[in-house]
Amino acid sequence: MIVAAALCPAAPLLVRALTGTDPAVPELRAACLAAAAELGAAAPDVIAVVGTADRSASWNAEWTLDPAVFAPGSRGARAADAAGRTPSADLPAALGVGAWLLDQAGCRGDRILRSVAHGEPAASCASTGAALATAGERVALLVMADGSARRTLKAPGYFDERSAGFDASVQDAIRSGRLDMLLSVDAGLACELMATGRPAWQVLAGALRGRKVTSEVRYCDDPFGVAYLVASLRAADTEQKGDRGARAG
Amino acid sequence: MSGERGQSALRLGRHDFGPERLLVMAIVNRTPDSFFRPGDTWDERAAIGRVHEAIAGGADIIDVGGVPAAPGPDVDPAEEIRRTAGFIAAVRDAYPDAVISVDTWRHEVAREACAAGADLINDSWGGWDHDLAAVAAEFGAGLVCSHAGGLRPRTRPFRASYADVVADVLAHTGKLAARAVEVGVDPARIVLDPAHDFGKNTWHSIEITRRLAELTATGWPVLVSVSNKDFIGETLNLPLPDRVAGTLATTAVCAWLGARIFRAHHVLQTRQTLDMVSAIRGDAPPARAVRALA
Repeated sequence: MIVAAALCPAAPLLVRALTGTDPAVPELRAACLAAAAELGAAAPDVIAVVGTADRSASWNAEWTLDPAVFAPGSRGARAADAAGRTPSADLPAALGVGAWLLDQAGCRGDRILRSVAHGEPAASCASTGAALATAGERVALLVMADGSARRTLKAPGYFDERSAGFDASVQDAIRSGRLDMLLSVDAGLACELMATGRPAWQVLAGALRGRKVTSEVRYCDDPFGVAYLVASLRAADTEQKGDRGARAG
Repeated sequence: MSGERGQSALRLGRHDFGPERLLVMAIVNRTPDSFFRPGDTWDERAAIGRVHEAIAGGADIIDVGGVPAAPGPDVDPAEEIRRTAGFIAAVRDAYPDAVISVDTWRHEVAREACAAGADLINDSWGGWDHDLAAVAAEFGAGLVCSHAGGLRPRTRPFRASYADVVADVLAHTGKLAARAVEVGVDPARIVLDPAHDFGKNTWHSIEITRRLAELTATGWPVLVSVSNKDFIGETLNLPLPDRVAGTLATTAVCAWLGARIFRAHHVLQTRQTLDMVSAIRGDAPPARAVRALA
C-alpha cells in the first residue's frame, strides 16, 4: 500500500552540481528535498521512483544519476555524492534525478526504479501504479514529472498557448486530490506540449486509485518556461507505522 | 600544437587554404530577428555595409543567413531564398574573389544560393535535409557537416544528455562527411562543425571546446561557431552585449586546438585574436618587432 507519495519535476537542474556556481533554483530544490524527506519519514519498506523515459522498464535499484551525461568534465559533478550507489549513464535521467533527490534527502532504504515510456497508454500506466502499490506493505512513491515545456517564448519548446490550460488542469487534479482526472490527460496534447510527465502522472493516479488523497503543493512555477510542480500527497486512510502493532498489543 | 599538420587541404571558392591559415567567417544575417543585434542587417544597404566592414576588418568568408536558429515566426523556403539569394549575388558582384557561404539547412535554398554565387553551404542543423549534400556536389560547393544532437531545425535542446558528447560529435559529423564524399562533394571542400549550443547544454559546449583536438585530429578542417552564444553567457553569467571577451577566449582556445574557420560577429577582434594565435604557434611572424632589437 502507498503510505506516502511525492511529485517532483524531472529537471536535471535540480542536481546542484549541474548548475555551476549559481544554485539557480534554490527554492525549487529545497521544495523537492522536503518532499523527498517526507517520503523517508513515512517509514516505507521501499521507495519507488517513477519517471518517463524512452521505454518502460525496471532498472537496477542500486543505480543513480551519472552527472557526466549532462556535465562532462565537471569536477563538481564527478565529486557529487553517489551515496554508495553506482552512477549509470544508462539510467533514464528522470529516475537518476529522483535517485539523487532521495540520496540528498537521506533516504537510504530499498528502492524500485521504474520508467514508463513516453507513449505508454493511460490504462497501462495506471496498472503499473497499482502494481507498484503492492510492491511492499509500506510503499512510498516518488513521481518525477513535468508539465508543458512550451509555456513562454524562451521555453525549451517555444510558446504554445495551450500550455496554460493544460497545466492548470493537471495542477487542479493534484491540488484537489482528484487524481483520477490525471487518467484523462490527453496524451497527444501532452506530447505536443513536451509535457513529459503525462505517463508518470498516470502511474501516480493508478497507485492511489480509490484512496482519499490530500496534497500540499510546495512549489508551482515555470522559471524556465517548463511547468514545475512539487507536491506531497497523503492518503487519509494511511496507517501510521506501528498502528497494527499497537492494535495487536 | 602547431605541429598538427595531419590536416587536409581546404578549398573554398577559388582559394586553397593551408592549415596555417585561420579564417574569419563574418556573420551577415538577412533576418529581422536573429539573437545578436536583431534586425541590424535586415535592410539590404545595411547588410552590404556590414560586408564592406567585414572585408575591411579581415574577414575571409561572408556567411549569409536568412533564418534565425531560435524558434520563431515561420520562414518558408521561398522567403528564405528571397532574403538570401539576391543578396549573395550582390556580394558576389562587389567582391568577385570573396568566399561566400550560405547559412541554411534546406536544399532548395542552398541551390538558389549556389546559383547566385555561394561557395559553401553552412548547415548548422546536422544534415537534417538529406538532399543538401547533393546540391553542394552539383555546384562544386563546400559543405559544413555539423552535429545538432538530432534536433529538428529551429528547436531548442531539452535536457540533452550524452554518454560522451565528443564521441557523438565525431560519429555524426564523420558520417555526414563520408556521405558527402559519396554523393560527390569535393573532399577538400568539406568542413566539420561541432556546433556549440546546438543540441547541447553549456557543459557539453565547454567539453567539445576542451576536447576539440579530437575533432581536428580527424584531419577534416574544423569550423567553430561560438560568437556570443549562450554557453559563454552562462559560463560568465553575462548578457548578450558583454560576451566579447568570452567569445575571443574561446576562439583562441579553439584555434590552438586546430580549428581553422571561426564564425564571428566581431570580425576585427576575431582577426586580431587569430593573428595573435598564429604568431604564438609560429605560423606567422609578428607584424613589427623592434622591441629590444634596436
